[in-house]
Amino acid sequence: MKEESTRKLLVSSSPHVGSNLTTEKIMLHVIIALSFCLIAGVVIFGVYSLLTVALCVASSVCGETLYNLIRKKPNTVKDLSAVVTGMILGLNLPPTVPFYVPIAGGLVAIMFVKMLFGGLGRNFANPAATGRVFLLLSWSTQMMEYIRPIDYASGAFSVKDFFVGFVDNAAYVTSATPLAEVKSAAGTGNVEVDLLDMFLGNIPGTIGEVCAVAIIAAAIYLIAFKIIDWKIPLTYFAGIALFSLIFYKNGWNFILPNLLGGGVLFAGVFMLTDYATSPNTRAGTIIFALGAALLTILIRRYGGMNEGASFAILLMNLLVPLIDKACKPRPFGYRKPPKVKKDKKEAAL
Amino acid sequence: MKLTFKHGIHPKERKELSADSPIETMPVGDKVYVPLTQHIGAPAEICVAVGDPVKAGTLIGKAASYVSANVFSPISGKVSAIVRRVNAAGRKIPHVVIDNDGEYAEETLLPLTEPTREQIIARCKEAGIVGMGGATFPTHVKLETKSDVKALIINGSECEPYITTDYRLMLERPENVVAGIKLLAAALGTDTVLVGIEGNKRDAIDRMIYATENDEGILIHELKTKYPQGGEKQLIYALTKEKVPNGGLPSDVGYIVLNISTAYAVYEACVLGKPCYARFMTVSGEAIARPANLYVRTGIPFSEIAEYLGVREEYVKAVSGGPMMGISLASLEPAVTKGSSALLLLTEREIRAVKPTACLNCARCASVCPMNLMPMMTDALILQDKIKDAKEYYPMSCIECGCCAYVCPAKRPLVQSQRLAKKLIRELKI
Repeated sequence: MKEESTRKLLVSSSPHVGSNLTTEKIMLHVIIALSFCLIAGVVIFGVYSLLTVALCVASSVCGETLYNLIRKKPNTVKDLSAVVTGMILGLNLPPTVPFYVPIAGGLVAIMFVKMLFGGLGRNFANPAATGRVFLLLSWSTQMMEYIRPIDYASGAFSVKDFFVGFVDNAAYVTSATPLAEVKSAAGTGNVEVDLLDMFLGNIPGTIGEVCAVAIIAAAIYLIAFKIIDWKIPLTYFAGIALFSLIFYKNGWNFILPNLLGGGVLFAGVFMLTDYATSPNTRAGTIIFALGAALLTILIRRYGGMNEGASFAILLMNLLVPLIDKACKPRPFGYRKPPKVKKDKKEAAL
Repeated sequence: MKLTFKHGIHPKERKELSADSPIETMPVGDKVYVPLTQHIGAPAEICVAVGDPVKAGTLIGKAASYVSANVFSPISGKVSAIVRRVNAAGRKIPHVVIDNDGEYAEETLLPLTEPTREQIIARCKEAGIVGMGGATFPTHVKLETKSDVKALIINGSECEPYITTDYRLMLERPENVVAGIKLLAAALGTDTVLVGIEGNKRDAIDRMIYATENDEGILIHELKTKYPQGGEKQLIYALTKEKVPNGGLPSDVGYIVLNISTAYAVYEACVLGKPCYARFMTVSGEAIARPANLYVRTGIPFSEIAEYLGVREEYVKAVSGGPMMGISLASLEPAVTKGSSALLLLTEREIRAVKPTACLNCARCASVCPMNLMPMMTDALILQDKIKDAKEYYPMSCIECGCCAYVCPAKRPLVQSQRLAKKLIRELKI
């Protein structure tokens, strides 16, 4: 048994077995789910969308590498979280933004929002949502420039349409997203949008947000693989429906336009569920999603903008530590400490 | 709906490795090394000298206090030395070395016929019976509870992966297990016994139901197969929906929990008069050529057991106990104790990665915690030395079941952090 006694064994604290799930696998699942939306976006808006998202991913990954180089830290890009951030931000951009917009957005999202606050899991605000808001404020015109989807059906379709963005895109630009209609119809209560087009993504909007079918497929994928908690998106969507009813005249007419328009579906599935910036408590999750829904509807109904999902997420992100503190769970079998001790202390005094 | 508790996990069971191997007796080598600490509480005081002849069942270590347990020689022969040897926990403690004379002559206690309550408790104490599930808390202390006992709960869940001894015991010797259960119920003065067995042991459930046909007080319950179903508090909740108060004991709600092997040991001690010097042990893992359920005498070094069953390939980790809560060994030098429920030799692909990465804040740990804690908070705070803040997340309530670390995608040592928090809070009296 001499051989046995010299063998080196691994000694560690229990447990000695674990699940196969790793950070990289989680991120890979999210990337797969996001690519559903990306594929839909490319089909709807052409290949320039692919370039936009690719630039965003590249600048995010480079941003993280650069930060780690400057701080002389081991590079963390292989956990794939920068790719996820880049993809989410890219899919949040209009299809024809100039190339420098995704580059700047990715760098800001990763370096300032994520890495400066400690990297993976430590950022207090959603990097992609913050990146989008930063870009909205910096390049308002370009960030509001939505083109209409490629019209495959009509006789006027040409291959050139597929490369809009690379060529002159002035002819394709349209300003009216369905949310603009939702906003202007809020007073009358009669909203005129094509719900089927909104469901399929045949509307102007950002690359990833328009196609509800793709987002729902992605959500099912993520829930099936237990990557996201179904309670967050479902509570958020239920909240959107509820607050549409409350805050709009003829609220019934606004439930589906509000759900399908803008970034609600995309944000509910991919951005509210961000691990680092959503609550870690069960009750907190519900409060968080409902709060985001309320803010989204308030901004859309009474705010200056048509869209409110990104701002709602950011505002709720800031409340997460407070929400978690308030919702801290009691351990199993918790009973309030008896007051006897206090009496004893008083008696001693 | 099957009875269970809230949260928890479904680890890979790996019971198929050894579940179909009938219990066999492990042969004893030339020497055994009997540790004097085989239980929770004070070490036993040695009461033999070098050169003394002993039989299997001769008292060699006397319980040093109320919470302590007698230690017996597992074989007949001669005490050849008293040495300091490393135990499973990695500490050097006194061991009594006994040379085997190959006779296996026995020294038994007087079998009890129709014993009284006091006699059974006295016998458990005399025979050195401890919790055989692995916790090794002296059984007589549990039986002498001052609380009113509503029911005795027998833990047959065996929720740890790999381990199959309780399953084999219920399958092969159900009548003896039931005899032990009845003795324990008599010792507690209760007529109600709840036996909880996980649903993955369907044939054991059937055998136990058959063996208790004529006993109205003994109820066999099927539990959902989920880890940690065998945790005392989780088991009580599954069977009765009552919650043991935070920081309290099962007896606070009127229940005493003991497991199948302990019931069997009580049967041996009372009916056969055999003191506790041997136990049932699962030896498994992909690196064991022939996984088995063994009847082993205490004092046999783990290395001999591994050699007996054959070590198949390169193993990287050896574990005494189950893979979720067991202790990883630095060598196979330690010997079998009353608490050695399993010996696992695990290969690289079976074990959890040990290199942690950054916490994602995914909250998986909190979502599976059967005690409803937030392990990621304790982990983050204790590593920043914020002991007071860490205490706010109730590390003292942690049962160290390992669910949190099992599911952690970042492979963080969450249980270790809880242990560190407990230790610091106790030491610094925060």
